[in-house]
Amino acid sequence: MSELAELAIERHGELVVATVTGELDVSVAPRMGDQIGEAVPTEARALVVDFSELEFIDSSGVAMLFGLVRRLGSRRQDLHVVAPAGRPVARVLELVDFGKAARLHSELDSALAEAG
Amino acid sequence: MTPLADLFERRVKGRALAFLFAAGAGLGLLTLVLPHDEMVKDLALVVLALTAVVIAAVLYWRADRVTDLELHMAVALGTVILTLANYFVGPTALYPMIYTWAALYAFYFFELRLAFAHVALIAVSYGLLLLLVEHPSPATRWLLAVGTPTIAGVLISRLLTRLRVENVEAGRRAEELRQNEARTRLVLDSAPDAFVTLDRDGLIVNWNAAAERMFGWSTAEAIGRPMRALVLPEDQRDLHDDRRRDLLESSGNVTGRLFEVDFQRRDGSRFPGEATVSKVEIGGEVVLPGFIRDITERLRRLEEREVLLREQAARAEAERVAEMVSGMQLLVDAALAHRSLDAIVGDLVTRVRGVLGAHAAVIYLVEDGRLITAASSGVDRETMPAPLELGSCFAGRVAEGREPQMVDRPSAEELADPDLEKVGCDSLLGVPLMAEGEVTGVLIVCGAEERQFGPEDLGVLRLAADRVALGIDHARVYEREHRIAETLQRTLLPDRLPHLPGLAVEARYLPAAAEAEVGGDWYDVIPIPGGRVGLVMGDVAGKGLAAASMVGRLRSALRAYALEGHEPARVVEQLNRLVWTELGDSQMATLLYLVLDPADGSVCWVNAGHLPPLLLADGGPAQFLQGGHNVPLGVMPFPSFDATAEQLEPGATVVLYTDGLVERPGDHIDNGLARLAGALRDAPGVPGGLCDHVLRMLVPEGAAADDVALLALRNTPMGNRFSAEFPTEPQALSSMRGLLRRWLRHAEGSDQEIAEITTACGEAATNAIEHAGSSGGTPFEILGRVDGREVDITVRDYGAWRRPREGDHGRGISLIEALMDEVEVTPTHEGTSVRMRRRLNGATPEVAA
Repeated sequence: MSELAELAIERHGELVVATVTGELDVSVAPRMGDQIGEAVPTEARALVVDFSELEFIDSSGVAMLFGLVRRLGSRRQDLHVVAPAGRPVARVLELVDFGKAARLHSELDSALAEAG
Repeated sequence: MTPLADLFERRVKGRALAFLFAAGAGLGLLTLVLPHDEMVKDLALVVLALTAVVIAAVLYWRADRVTDLELHMAVALGTVILTLANYFVGPTALYPMIYTWAALYAFYFFELRLAFAHVALIAVSYGLLLLLVEHPSPATRWLLAVGTPTIAGVLISRLLTRLRVENVEAGRRAEELRQNEARTRLVLDSAPDAFVTLDRDGLIVNWNAAAERMFGWSTAEAIGRPMRALVLPEDQRDLHDDRRRDLLESSGNVTGRLFEVDFQRRDGSRFPGEATVSKVEIGGEVVLPGFIRDITERLRRLEEREVLLREQAARAEAERVAEMVSGMQLLVDAALAHRSLDAIVGDLVTRVRGVLGAHAAVIYLVEDGRLITAASSGVDRETMPAPLELGSCFAGRVAEGREPQMVDRPSAEELADPDLEKVGCDSLLGVPLMAEGEVTGVLIVCGAEERQFGPEDLGVLRLAADRVALGIDHARVYEREHRIAETLQRTLLPDRLPHLPGLAVEARYLPAAAEAEVGGDWYDVIPIPGGRVGLVMGDVAGKGLAAASMVGRLRSALRAYALEGHEPARVVEQLNRLVWTELGDSQMATLLYLVLDPADGSVCWVNAGHLPPLLLADGGPAQFLQGGHNVPLGVMPFPSFDATAEQLEPGATVVLYTDGLVERPGDHIDNGLARLAGALRDAPGVPGGLCDHVLRMLVPEGAAADDVALLALRNTPMGNRFSAEFPTEPQALSSMRGLLRRWLRHAEGSDQEIAEITTACGEAATNAIEHAGSSGGTPFEILGRVDGREVDITVRDYGAWRRPREGDHGRGISLIEALMDEVEVTPTHEGTSVRMRRRLNGATPEVAA
């Protein structure tokens, strides 16, 4: 069963953690990008997008991430993305060289540690 | 003697005597004129002569009525006058010879006996005269006086008698007359009817044997008595007098005037009679002959016949009324049937014609101020006639007048109606059809030779018209409701099932037989975001508009809950709450809600009081899915609804239906279910063919008593080839991925391979959706083939090609190129096709669990 992507946002001090589950495609991604962007206050230091439970991502999901990079960059905030290695999502992010635009982590803990 | 002969005799006697008096007076006066003896007393003789003249005149005048007694008196008076004349002439000149005339008369007309009496009177008179005036030889003179007239009288009378006897002609005539009289008498006596003749004073002069029998009075008793007193009861006598007077006063003869009179017998009993009376005038004498007939028997027969006729008429009337009442009942039945206006009006016009025994009947309806022929019976017609203007023709006038009308021998103008002109009718009866004070139409019946209409038929037609008007009203309301319900229901049933990749779904809906009301059966197929699909089969209790509108609410609500992504049990729970709280406790509905995930073939259903769905494994037997049973919607406020899950393998089919398919009047539902399972055994695998086959087997008539809904969904079996179409909208991507993964698993790709190929196809599909722009339109298709280990997939769209822009979309193509071995993008004027190939290496160890 394939479920469309769902979003959960948590605040950890100066960190905002956005957990996305399900499958992220063009039917959801543009709106979700705005939702996440608006959830990050100017005083936050960094955003962690957790894709640990994300089943699927396509170019629109990637576009969403690049959009967040641009948005956070203008406010000097950092973006950390968690995508377990070897999984389809990590593979796509690898293919688009997302590592050059933001920090990629295999696990949430390392992302939180680095961002915090 | 008959009155006629009598009349003749009397008249002759009277006139003869008058002549003798006149002649005697003449002679006497003549002797006074001639020279005569001085002793003659002239004055006295003149007085005697004048007296004789007066007597002659009276006799002549009364000749018709003179009686024998009067004649005798006149003769005797003559004798006295002659004696006085002798005396006044003088004693020296006695004329015994002058008595001869009186003697002659007496012997001629009177019986011999009476004639001698007159002679005796003469003898006495002359004897006295001689004693007074003569002395010498009175005996001689007396003898002379008596002897001369006696001998002369006897001789002359004998001579005359002989002459009379010898007068053959006269004798025969008299005899014939007598015979005739006798014959007439005989005829009259033998007549069955009484024959009575009255004289002008109403005295009976004829009375035959039948009259004797009829009244009990003998002829002798009756003759000479007044009719009114003898045989008429008191109360009839004045009438009798009036009629008699009337007859007598009418001029000339009258023959056979007929009167009905009540008569009275001698014993006082009364009887009704019929008198045929004439008036005959014979020689100035008026008589009233008449026949009288006792009509007691005839009246009795007449009365019997009348009673019989009345009975027959009463029986016929009773039968006619009974027939009419049953005819009216038929009309009411027809009027209140749940049917279309056309059907009802057609039925009614035939029945009205039957009830009235009419030659033809026509029903017109008012539309836009004109009369349209709605239905006719007994009218040969090839085309629908043109509408009639109000006020023209018979029908138009009835509509305008708003009153029933009847026409005998209708004019050409009245028949100008194209419906009637060819029928050939002799009488027309028309009644306006009224509804709420408005003329909605006209009902007309035509009579021809064998059946003419009269005013009494108007009442019947009026009754019929009331029922026809009722029927029309009823049908209009019904039609309006039926139309709305039908329209509503049609809009509530999906007019096109959504395209479901990897699935084949077909539905059939058979409305019940034309005349029934729209039912509450419904079905729906709902694509749920995430690739799943919801199947709905429901039946709302009740029929018509109410049921249809409830289906509408249930359908929107169910779609809303399903699209929100609720689990099947939750969806049904929410529907139940809707039915319970909002739609009233009188509403109830059964529902089957089944959700299928094409990606893994799992089905999950909730059954709210509905018939169990059928699962048909590929090539296997049909099996009812018995789980997931719950109460119907609307019977409890908060029941818990449980869902049951099952697996729908590739190639298997699930069948949903409503009770109309399996229920038959008088048959157990289990038999219907068995019939359905049996029909499915031989059914084709393709859902369309399967539905048609099932309907053919279970509803061979093409329509059942109730609506029938049938839905079949097949999980299309996967092979080396993949072919599916998807709508050009982002929501389609999810189900596309699910389906593609299922196929790729079937092709034994590794998880990573499957994910990568799916991602690449997703990018191509996203492009296809992008190309379609906001116009939506033609779906894009994905064609896949596995040849050995080589997967070859083409995503083709029919939108306008757009150059991949830098950034996001360019990234899509890069991804495809990165994930697939070969990529080929072919933009054409009708769309773009992206062909991708990838070699499968099979299951690879997972990098991460």
